[in-house]
Amino acid sequence: MKNSFHVRLFLGILLLFAICFSIYSIYYKTKYWGFSLSPKQTSNVWMVEAHINFVADGENPITATLRIPTKNRGFKVLDESITAKGYKHKKLSDRIVFSRSSTTGDQNLYYKLMVFDNTLGKDKLRAPAPEKIKKPLWNDQTVTQAKQILHLSKQQDGRNSIEKLIKFFNQEPMDPTLKSMLPVQYSPKTAIEFMMNLLSLENIPTRIARGIKLEEGQTLYPDLMLEAYINGAWWLYDPQTGKQGLPDNFLVFQRGETSLLDVTGGTASSIKFSMQKSITASMNLAERRAQLSKDTGLFNYSIYNLPIAQQNTLKWLSVFPIGILIVVLMRNIVGIQTMGTFTPMLISMSLVKTGFLTGLACFVAIILLGLGIRFLMSKFNLLLVPRISAVVIFVILIIHALTIIGYNFDIKIAQASVFFPIIITAWIIERASITWEEDGPVNASKELLNSLIVGIIVYFVIANAHIRHIMFAFNELNIVILLIVMLLGTYTGYRLTELKRFAPLVKK
Amino acid sequence: MFGLFKKFTTPQKLREKGILGMNARNFHIISKCNPRNLYPLVDDKVTTKNLAIKSGVQTPDMIGVIEHQFQVSNILDMVKNHSEFVVKPSHGSGGKGVLVIKSYTEDTFTLPSGKIITYNELYQHISNILSGLYSLGGRYDTALIEEVVHFSDIFKDYSYQGVPDVRIIVYKGYPIMAMTRLSTACSGGRANLHQGAVGVGLDIKTGKTKKAVQHNIPITHHPDTNADLRKIEVPLWREHLLIAAKAYEMTGLGYFGADIVLDAKKGPMMLELNARPGLAIQIANGSGLKKAIKKIDKKYPQNLNAEERINFILS
Ligand SMILES: Nc1ncnc2c1ncn2[C@@H]1O[C@H](COP(=O)(O)OP(=O)(O)O)[C@@H](O)[C@H]1O
Ligand SMILES: [Mg+2]
Repeated sequence: MKNSFHVRLFLGILLLFAICFSIYSIYYKTKYWGFSLSPKQTSNVWMVEAHINFVADGENPITATLRIPTKNRGFKVLDESITAKGYKHKKLSDRIVFSRSSTTGDQNLYYKLMVFDNTLGKDKLRAPAPEKIKKPLWNDQTVTQAKQILHLSKQQDGRNSIEKLIKFFNQEPMDPTLKSMLPVQYSPKTAIEFMMNLLSLENIPTRIARGIKLEEGQTLYPDLMLEAYINGAWWLYDPQTGKQGLPDNFLVFQRGETSLLDVTGGTASSIKFSMQKSITASMNLAERRAQLSKDTGLFNYSIYNLPIAQQNTLKWLSVFPIGILIVVLMRNIVGIQTMGTFTPMLISMSLVKTGFLTGLACFVAIILLGLGIRFLMSKFNLLLVPRISAVVIFVILIIHALTIIGYNFDIKIAQASVFFPIIITAWIIERASITWEEDGPVNASKELLNSLIVGIIVYFVIANAHIRHIMFAFNELNIVILLIVMLLGTYTGYRLTELKRFAPLVKK
Repeated sequence: MFGLFKKFTTPQKLREKGILGMNARNFHIISKCNPRNLYPLVDDKVTTKNLAIKSGVQTPDMIGVIEHQFQVSNILDMVKNHSEFVVKPSHGSGGKGVLVIKSYTEDTFTLPSGKIITYNELYQHISNILSGLYSLGGRYDTALIEEVVHFSDIFKDYSYQGVPDVRIIVYKGYPIMAMTRLSTACSGGRANLHQGAVGVGLDIKTGKTKKAVQHNIPITHHPDTNADLRKIEVPLWREHLLIAAKAYEMTGLGYFGADIVLDAKKGPMMLELNARPGLAIQIANGSGLKKAIKKIDKKYPQNLNAEERINFILS
């Protein structure tokens, strides 16, 4: 008694450690590798291509400077590439400089960027205060009108005058005073510049940020955002909605006075952006995430760094321990007698491959046919080994027949038969037929049924996409299961079925 | 729903009654009292028989052993001095593969039920035994040929078919619980309680009926023969107990079940020992094994010989 108490204590402490370790590991994997608890989790990977085009003037050396997104926030870079034939290029933190000696003709330069894990950037960009604010050169009347607009905009709701002004600006229908100050046709840029002028009257430093919205397609015009300097940092504002912060689908290429693209030694320069989205299982990006978190050591030695084929096998294996746990629970805690220890496990594995109902129907069909043949065969009085071998061959023939029938009549149920492990099936048939002869049909059916029921329960657990994903992504949980199984090995209480079996003993 | 619930009892109540559960049996009793290396002594009937002969415990005489397939055809030669014989797998259990031949000619063999089998069928049966059909895990086995026990008539009215044996559970050399299993039409002539045989708990001191159950329900008369089950009193009870107790020194097992049959002339004989006896005996007795085991652990003296232990029990 004392001894088993110690064993239990020891295993219990180990289990506690294993649980703590698993919790930490789950936290770590979700945080740094981006693993999620849900199997359906996918990540969008955006491929953004900037295509620069200009005509070389044929006289001067060429330099083209493209502003690019700084990595400081909002997304992770999966891949980056530059294609520029005949050019030297230098990548700086916020721009790429392409250069070459003079040439002639049409020039095409490409910058390709793959990003993922865009997050809503609510934070601001800290920066020293900008130089003196440029005020517009407006006459008195315009200034009065502007002040009136600013005054009117205060009635809008918003956290600050910038939000209020943007809301006011986007009102439908447009305020007549405002309308009178704007040209009849105006571009988004004009609108932003006008807002900037108005804000300058309130001494708020502002600038334009250029970038692109991550929407599939192509565009010649980068999207614009209004950036305002408040309390020591630049804040982005959507000029349409007034919403503060970097939207999760926005990639900033350039900020402030500088231009997005500068070309010397060429004319008619243009830049075209193409965006393409691909959806990847979140786990596939784990390696890149691990690299970005500067912690590849652990990752390299994890199963997630293996070739996909091997990962798939391991994925399949990772789910077994939980199935085994169920079999142990069923046998030692519930007290269901199954045919052999792991027959239920094997049945459930086959069901996973075949699909539930089809597999079940097929399994029952094979077993019944097999039993029938086994009974016919018992007339021949064959020796054990050849007899079991004969049953194996019969099972193979049954599977042949069912598959052919299934194919010709398009019955999925019959086709599923291919997936049943032949030897195991034959063994089940042999075992059932012996139990049948020795202990009667009732007991044989009971044993078969018990195995099938436990198999079905295991099936529902191991076929569950969530459980499979979790057991693979967080494979350390298998240590927890191992210790639980070992602890169950010290369970000496009554089995559930014994509560019924021995019930007559305690009745009056 | 409520009805289903009523069929169950609580662990609390079972504990109070001292009922031994399967997990506790395996963990606390069998794994502690029965060293693994002793199992072969009782799992192999030929070994058990040889041990029993050495310890002066009566068993049915061995006629011969068939170990290899080529020896199977010697069977008639082997039994030529016997008008009847029993073939059984040396590693069998639960009565599987036991074939009792009451009389025979060159090619017909009569079973106790009157059924006649051919020489081919017998040959086949022995081959099956050798190939491991009846042994645990399908290991190759040997066939044991032994003398038929002429069962005493006292059980005649109590059994539908076959002859009942007495199962005595022995803990640390002390017999603690006993029962006999009576086959019924419902159990198909087999002596397994879960198949519907009647279990009769026997008082360990007297060998008289304590309680009789079928399908877990107390009964008073045999369902087929209608004999009054309360009147059973096993003769030569002390000798029964002595055989069971001696098997303790013989094997060294701390916990086992001894199956004993009563031969009309030769008296009680040990048929086999079981290192993992089942728990149904508790139902037949209406009392728990754990309680009995605790009593032994607490009160009973150690280091007595078999004879002394039986005296201690009967006193
Ligand atoms: N020598 C025998 N004579 C008559 N019947 C026997 C003999 N041996 C076995 N039997 C019958 O077969 C049954 C099972 O035999 P047993 O030796 O206990 O083998 P098992 O290990 O399979 O239970 C006994 O209960 C008895 O009815
Ligand atoms: Mg027996």
